[in-house]
Amino acid sequence: MSFKMRPEKIMIFVEGSQESILAAQYAVCMAKWLDCTLVGAYVVDIKTLEELTRAKIFVKMEEMDYEKSLEEDGHRYLNYVRNLAEAKGVFIETEILKGEIYKEIIRIIEQEDIDILVMGELEEPESRRDFYYNESERTFRHSPCPVIVVKSRDEIKWMYENL
Amino acid sequence: MKLSQLLTPDLIKVGIIDSNKEDIIRQMIEVIDNQGLLTDAEQAYQDVMVRELQQSTGLESGIAIPHGKSSAVAQLVGALGISQDGIDFNSLDGQPSHLFFLLLAPPTMSGPHVRALANIAKLSQSASFRKKLISAGNSQEAFQIIMEAEKDIV
Repeated sequence: MSFKMRPEKIMIFVEGSQESILAAQYAVCMAKWLDCTLVGAYVVDIKTLEELTRAKIFVKMEEMDYEKSLEEDGHRYLNYVRNLAEAKGVFIETEILKGEIYKEIIRIIEQEDIDILVMGELEEPESRRDFYYNESERTFRHSPCPVIVVKSRDEIKWMYENL
Repeated sequence: MKLSQLLTPDLIKVGIIDSNKEDIIRQMIEVIDNQGLLTDAEQAYQDVMVRELQQSTGLESGIAIPHGKSSAVAQLVGALGISQDGIDFNSLDGQPSHLFFLLLAPPTMSGPHVRALANIAKLSQSASFRKKLISAGNSQEAFQIIMEAEKDIV
């Protein structure tokens, strides 16, 4: 990552949850305050789809159908975030990625020279496995740039609406 | 989505009546319908059967995961049926199926559906989990077994 005197690019990781949509509002606020470009990213979880086919829960045709559906979900979520940003005059680029979620997010952070990653509130880990293998947890832990985890609070909506 | 977030004891039926695949799926659909989670039970049944006709969702080790996308649900819904004796579900290993996890998701909500299926797959790999769940005496006990297993596995 290149050295910068101030952040220029903020990335919002969207996975469709209410928490990530709220985080998107905060990311728009940050981009506006800091005069940054916003990058919205969604990852089609190919790894899990392939695992389901290997486990014979999916047939191959079904895997392809779900991949398409997840991609459509991603476009829908990112369009929503795009509208949030553009409504406040914030420039936004969006990326639909495919692969293992945390690895793809980290790859794009490095490729796009992202300065700050914004994500929704993390779920409380309910098991040891959850702690180590939850994709949001892994993204948070492995991110090469600073991460802001947006706590779900009504003030964020108010902040965005009054931006 | 974890199975314990998807199910309640009311969505678990212990003692699925021995019958054929179609009847088992209908019994599971009825469990969901009884909770007011379906707008059209017949449509939901047809949507599960469309997937079932591509390839049986009767897997190995006594597990079956019938599922499908359906406009008859507003959100991801599921039910669990348990048969201690085991029922022929055209499983991949030719053995009787004991645990029937049925999932239905709206056509535009694939993410939670995929994650729920993945979590069921992880849980079902545990032989001790399967054994305990098959032996559950009632739906409340089965629900507790799922919650305990998720702490260690999912």
